[in-house]
Amino acid sequence: MSGVKLDSIVKAYGALQVVHGIDLNVNEKEFVVLVGPSGCGKSTTLRMIAGLEEISDGQLTIDGRVMNRVAPKDRDVAMVFQNYALYPHLNVADNIAFGLRIRKESAKTIDASIEEVGNILGLTEYMDRRPADLSGGQRQRVAMGRAIVRRPKVFLFDEPLSNLDAKLRTQMRAEIKRLHKRLGATSIYVTHDQVEAMTLADRIVVMNDGRIEQIGTPMELFLNPANAFVAGFLGAPPMNQITATIADGGNGPVAEFPGGSLALAPLPDLQNAVGKSVIVGIRPEYAQTVTEPGPGSVSCDLDLVETLGSEALLHMSLGNKPFVIRTETLGNIARLNSVNGFTADPELIKVFDADTGLALSGQTRAA
Amino acid sequence: MTAVDNKTSSAPVKYSAQQRTRAERIKDHMRNEWRIYAMLLPTVVWLVVFLYKPMYGLQIAFKDYSIFRGVAASPWIGLEHFENLIGFDWSALGTADPFWTNGNQQFLRALRNTIYISMYSLLIGFPVPILLALMFNEVLNQSFKRTAQTIVYLPHFISSVIIAGIVITTFSPSVGIVNTILTWLGFEPIYFLTRPEWFRPIFIGTTIWQEAGFQSIVYLAAIAGVSPTLYESAVVDGASRWQMMWKITIPSILPTIIIMLIIRIGNMLEVSFEMIIVLYQPATYETADVVNTFIYRQGLQSGQYDFAAAAGLFNAIVAFVLVMSANAISKRYSRTSLW
Amino acid sequence: MANMNLYSRGDKTFVIINMVLIGIFTLSTLYPFVYITAMSFSSGFAATAGKVVLTPVQATAEAYNYILSDRMFWVSYGNTFIYTIGGTLMSLAFLIPGAYALSRPQLYGRRFWNLIVAFTMWFNAGLIPFFLNMRDLGLLDSYFGIIIGFAVNGFNLILLRNFFEGVPSSFEEAARMDGANDFQVLWKVYVPLAKPAIATVALFCMVARWNGFFWAMVLLQDEDKIPLQVYLRHTIATLSDDPEFTATQLNASYSFETVSAAIIVCSIIPVLIIYPFIQKYFEKGILLGGVKE
Repeated sequence: MSGVKLDSIVKAYGALQVVHGIDLNVNEKEFVVLVGPSGCGKSTTLRMIAGLEEISDGQLTIDGRVMNRVAPKDRDVAMVFQNYALYPHLNVADNIAFGLRIRKESAKTIDASIEEVGNILGLTEYMDRRPADLSGGQRQRVAMGRAIVRRPKVFLFDEPLSNLDAKLRTQMRAEIKRLHKRLGATSIYVTHDQVEAMTLADRIVVMNDGRIEQIGTPMELFLNPANAFVAGFLGAPPMNQITATIADGGNGPVAEFPGGSLALAPLPDLQNAVGKSVIVGIRPEYAQTVTEPGPGSVSCDLDLVETLGSEALLHMSLGNKPFVIRTETLGNIARLNSVNGFTADPELIKVFDADTGLALSGQTRAA
Repeated sequence: MTAVDNKTSSAPVKYSAQQRTRAERIKDHMRNEWRIYAMLLPTVVWLVVFLYKPMYGLQIAFKDYSIFRGVAASPWIGLEHFENLIGFDWSALGTADPFWTNGNQQFLRALRNTIYISMYSLLIGFPVPILLALMFNEVLNQSFKRTAQTIVYLPHFISSVIIAGIVITTFSPSVGIVNTILTWLGFEPIYFLTRPEWFRPIFIGTTIWQEAGFQSIVYLAAIAGVSPTLYESAVVDGASRWQMMWKITIPSILPTIIIMLIIRIGNMLEVSFEMIIVLYQPATYETADVVNTFIYRQGLQSGQYDFAAAAGLFNAIVAFVLVMSANAISKRYSRTSLW
Repeated sequence: MANMNLYSRGDKTFVIINMVLIGIFTLSTLYPFVYITAMSFSSGFAATAGKVVLTPVQATAEAYNYILSDRMFWVSYGNTFIYTIGGTLMSLAFLIPGAYALSRPQLYGRRFWNLIVAFTMWFNAGLIPFFLNMRDLGLLDSYFGIIIGFAVNGFNLILLRNFFEGVPSSFEEAARMDGANDFQVLWKVYVPLAKPAIATVALFCMVARWNGFFWAMVLLQDEDKIPLQVYLRHTIATLSDDPEFTATQLNASYSFETVSAAIIVCSIIPVLIIYPFIQKYFEKGILLGGVKE
């Protein structure tokens, strides 16, 4: 019953449709992340939930109530903005209290709420400061404080961490996660950063071009991407995607590359695709290095070794196409320069239709 | 994966914006947003009452206006006032009679004076603020710069009556400092403000003196927007300050200069007649009387409202054409109009 | 680039010549004010004899005595304050909500409303129709007429509108989600955010009002309602014809010139007093750009 429900939500500006009918069910207390490249409609979708954009078509329900024509203030949602939108002329306490004052709460309630929020977010010492005198992380906290002080049913986050530097972002990410655990409020979070999506989400919604590509838990999406887009979007470095032909290897289907062939999982869909040209996806982490390619492995040339510390990225070229392998360095570093091929566990190789980009069915693997 | 919700509860979707009629949407809009229309209303009413209603009243330029009959009831007389003003006899066209007559010599003189004063003001007055901004930019001592700026901005904030008063005192034949100096140097004192040949130099010089400092602010801001790395790399390349001014500063602020020039051309005919009213006298009408002072005398002092309104309309149309062409040029040059 | 020691000889010469030229221009701006002040404190005899150059000659405050004892001086001074304060408040009361409304993207017919404003900047009916309109509205010879008749100005309206447009929309959105309506968004968020812009516009209104002269002269017949500038213009126009002043009074303690100078000084003083406070605003305000966080 509670939670947020999007039913065929469309956003159109005149003849131009930017969100093409989205269906999504966010359960109560769930943390859902909308992720996708810029311009994919994720922010527009969030703003339609907030009431900042008119819903062109479809139906939005929050807590069982249709919200299409309800004003933002009456939807019982709070939003954290990308630029925080902290009022520069008000100090931290007044920023947090702004919404309560507008709603004419009693002074007693307001004081209590401010104190509570200050404690939760560790802002007690900064209550008298103006936003200009705060660090980026502190401003971010105030922005969240302004949202949580009203105890809304739903929290909306619009790329809240994108203005922070990398270190602070990691820190605030963890803080948002902790806060969600503590408050347990339904949250919808928009980001273009797949790391934020993976770390924060109960469920991730991958969007592209105004449509939902896939919905699932982070590990579902990582291990079983529904299509080549999702496969390429989640994971860093992204999944290698190489064109190959499926052949019958005797014991089951194999993928034939310019430099050799790899065994694939013995699934009916793959067996039926023998002779077809497909896209084969192999995550850099799941490719194993080989120094003497033989049967069951693919030979390729090493271009460059990037050492990251505990791991190294090997940039290979496979028939003129780049192929990246991520591998451990410990006890391994000496032989990295002589790597000239790779192999992979058939269970971890994904095969996508070359035309539609959809994953051939049956390839699921549990974490 | 509970991804896609099955649509069992598919009651007809009546909330969607696309399915609402235009009238319903406008009603929704007004219900949610009436406050911004309430905020706009006073300003629009003011504009209508104080600026657009007089435009309706402009019809007296084509009428034989009488105070007692009022604007609407006064009889139409067509272009007679304009014919009298510029001396063009419309009805003589196609007949043997000459269609150019003498026109109103005072008006034609005022029109001529307006154009002369605007042209000279533009030619001489336009470069001064640019020069001033470039010079301020080369001042290194910040407190000197601040003080000088504070002083040169000041006259802009002083009323034209006061400026005129200062001019009258300064150029007065008996007491004025200018004549005092002339006498010291052995010249005869000159009664400047009664001499037609001196009126324009004094008036134009005064307006430049009053406004140049203030107008330099725009250019100073444009200069401040130039990336310091351009200067730093020029210093490393061994450029002198003079070279940097010519090769970096001036090209960088050129767009601003052009925009300001276009604005100035658009507003060219807006001669500050308030000051002229205080400064001129019948002896200098020959060079000092501009269209607005002419209108003031003919209309507001002598009560020839219809005739004076026609003169004003003529002036406004010329100004409007200037503004519009300036805007068109600006659009072409900068791809953005001034408005 | 402040270290002079790093400069070449040519650059040093350039900088110094430039400084001298700026100095000359600045002094030439300052001098008339000094001169007028000196004149106002000189005796009428010294003034008439052309002896005043830089400092008061035969220093006396007689000219001030003369105007300060003139009832009309005080009346017109008071009137100027009424017109300046009343007019500025009236202008802001129109301009702030109007500019905010014009800056809202959701305003229907926004282009049309903006065009209505812009058109008044390109074309106006002129002096005569405006005057006749004021007369028809019964606003001649009235404080209210002067205060309301010049309340809105297209330039100020657009300046303020541009500032409001530059405020990131998330401020409005955040306030809306917090439950604020448009009035509250404007009053509690945009007005505090726009303080520098509003101060600039208020400054422009104040200066225009303080200096306003032509329409006050045309619209006000009643002497008790005229502002200082009109009084000054009367003084300049009438005193020079007044036998008391034109007769050469060798020992006169005040003259037409010193009295005019004294009125000028009195009229400039309030501008000078507020000038330092407003300077920081008008420099920025002229170039209203984006809002700073």
